[in-house]
Amino acid sequence: MIALFVTILLFPLIGWALGRRSLGEAFLLGLGITGSVLFIAGVVHVPLVIAMVLLIVASLIGIVLTRRPLQLPRFHSPLPTILMCIPLVALAFAAAITPLNDFDGRAFWALKAKGIAHERSIDGPFFHGGTLDPRNQYPILIPLDGAVILSLAHSLDDRHLRWLYLGILAALALLLRERIGRLVTPAAGAWCAAILVWIPQFAVEPEGGALSAYNDLAIAAFAAGAFFELLDAEARKSEIRFGLWLAFLLLTKREGLPFALGFLAIGAFVFRKRIVMPAVITSVATVALMVWRWRIPVGDQEDVVQVLPTIPDKLHRIGIGAFPRHMLLMPRWGLLWIAVIVAAMFATRLDRRAASLAIAVIASMLAIYTAVYVTTAWVPSELIGVTADRLLMHVIAPSLFLLAMAGPDNPQRKRGNR
Amino acid sequence: MSVRWLTRIAAALLFLSLAASTLPRLIAIVNNARALLPLPYEARRERQMGPWYASIEKLRAELPKKEQVALIAPPRDLDSAIFANYYLYPIRTRLFAGHNAYRNAAPDRMRPAVVVAVNAAHAERTEYDILRDRDLAAGHRIVAAPELSDPTTTFVLPLAASLDGPSPDTFLVEATLANPNAAPVEVRVTFWPKGLMRTILIPPGTTTTYYDFIYQLFGIMNRGWMRVESSQPLRTAFYFANRGRGDATRLPNAIREATRLAPVPLNRDAKLFVINPKETRATMILNGESISLDPHAFISRPIASLPVISGDVYAFVTARELNGRTNFLWPQ
Repeated sequence: MIALFVTILLFPLIGWALGRRSLGEAFLLGLGITGSVLFIAGVVHVPLVIAMVLLIVASLIGIVLTRRPLQLPRFHSPLPTILMCIPLVALAFAAAITPLNDFDGRAFWALKAKGIAHERSIDGPFFHGGTLDPRNQYPILIPLDGAVILSLAHSLDDRHLRWLYLGILAALALLLRERIGRLVTPAAGAWCAAILVWIPQFAVEPEGGALSAYNDLAIAAFAAGAFFELLDAEARKSEIRFGLWLAFLLLTKREGLPFALGFLAIGAFVFRKRIVMPAVITSVATVALMVWRWRIPVGDQEDVVQVLPTIPDKLHRIGIGAFPRHMLLMPRWGLLWIAVIVAAMFATRLDRRAASLAIAVIASMLAIYTAVYVTTAWVPSELIGVTADRLLMHVIAPSLFLLAMAGPDNPQRKRGNR
Repeated sequence: MSVRWLTRIAAALLFLSLAASTLPRLIAIVNNARALLPLPYEARRERQMGPWYASIEKLRAELPKKEQVALIAPPRDLDSAIFANYYLYPIRTRLFAGHNAYRNAAPDRMRPAVVVAVNAAHAERTEYDILRDRDLAAGHRIVAAPELSDPTTTFVLPLAASLDGPSPDTFLVEATLANPNAAPVEVRVTFWPKGLMRTILIPPGTTTTYYDFIYQLFGIMNRGWMRVESSQPLRTAFYFANRGRGDATRLPNAIREATRLAPVPLNRDAKLFVINPKETRATMILNGESISLDPHAFISRPIASLPVISGDVYAFVTARELNGRTNFLWPQ
């Protein structure tokens, strides 16, 4: 129960210190801030316990100083709201009872959380061959959050981490509901949130879904946060939040860094001179990541720099059809991607700027995956087979936004119909 | 029908396409959770992962907490070792893909001494020798049709070993003992210079075989020589085999001391072996130098050329070909 309370209270609390954001956004911001602050503290060798205490104290002060009331989710659109709640309640019941049983979660991510919680360090013996730890250099933002939960629960048992990943799915759903609700219509936001939690890959897939401990959900959520800041660039301090989302991305998974660079490139057109702030925040996180990586032994992953010169010899792989085939896997995605492609065509007619931003974000992320598949030393079809569905999760926010734009509730569509 | 209604129908179809896949699986997940609900958490893991997890729980209790542990898993079962590492943490582990990887790490002073064998079915604390023996037992003897000696009662095998070199070198003695008599035979085998003794009973008219005679009989990995004494004449075949390279050489049943080695060119890694099969001290003359040997002594030394040797001892030479095969030069 301690872990449940820590997960649903601590992270939103830290997120709300940045301002009165919605519950979902506050949870995700809190998750990102906690992981990032502890990571940077670990890099400069500030004890993680002290850093955590300071963070909590600073968050409480921040909340007290912010006078605006908390934004709790508002009840509207009852049907999609009920539809959204059904899988979340069912998954919460399962998460409370069923032990973790996935591959990457146990092999890498939850193991790292245990290692950090046990050693109270991000470059201790655990990361220096003290134990079997494949993929040593994966970024550790989410494992740091997990380590906070394990430390507060005084246990290394992964049962305490079960709420974290379900929490990310719920927070992403709430973020979509609130942001799409604000940008399109509340009903569109509610329906998009409902669709999200009914997508098999998010809800019930054992590898990558909410009952696993993969980090793809977190990447999808942080990418969603960055995407909505692009759409909402005129909002106060949006450039700071945009920079934070990018920092979270690159500290969460290896592909987070190229994603962040892609977002920065798109953001430069949106934020113009204000892009300096996100660039600075991203740079700080990148430098911290590089310093940390430099200090620990190289893992067994592919060296991206070494494979880059091999691109000309592998260009023929671009024609690989395995990736698009995954988009049409009914048991994992239903008709979603077909609907997204159709919606993208409609959306560009309704709001060219917003639709272009969504398409640019999706295209930049998919281009990164294409580059990885082209350069990998793996057999591309095998790599695609084990990763494609999880990677498609990352572009869910702009995809659902395109659906919402083309949906029946979009006021622009209504005006067009008249 | 308006565009608005068409998009609503499309949205409904989209939702149904998702729910059609998610709902049954969600129900299965909830039903599984309900079935697990009455059980304690560890029992739920056991239910999910089977006896494998129960064996991990047992290991967690019995392994030293502050010592690194070697996880030896068959190369096809490395995932099991990865998960064993996960559930054993904070016990530190080091993964070895197969026992050959463990033995090849012998020069590494950081190689863990505590060994855990793990595969998809279970994990257990064990010893390297036991894993090696399991692999050998699961394989096939190199000499499928051994050439049996004439019946004899007492003889010496000048070389007996159960040892590993760098992978794939796996040295052992394949033995076949046939009792052609109408009565059971009692065979006493003494492994020198350790002086270990075992007795084997072979029923009349039967043949007993061993894939790794020294380990199977004495439970050790070592080298030396053997005296075989049987209550009745016995037909035997002993082959010094390198299981890793698939080569085997028939060992002579030595009856008396012998030192005269026929002059032949030597390959690389040539070694002179000398044994004293007597109960008393022996003296050998090696290239003019007199050397005294303890009773039952077994000595070896590298040589560059064939030595001149004499005395009341048994001497032979081994050399290795470039392909790793061991050649023997037995005394005449």
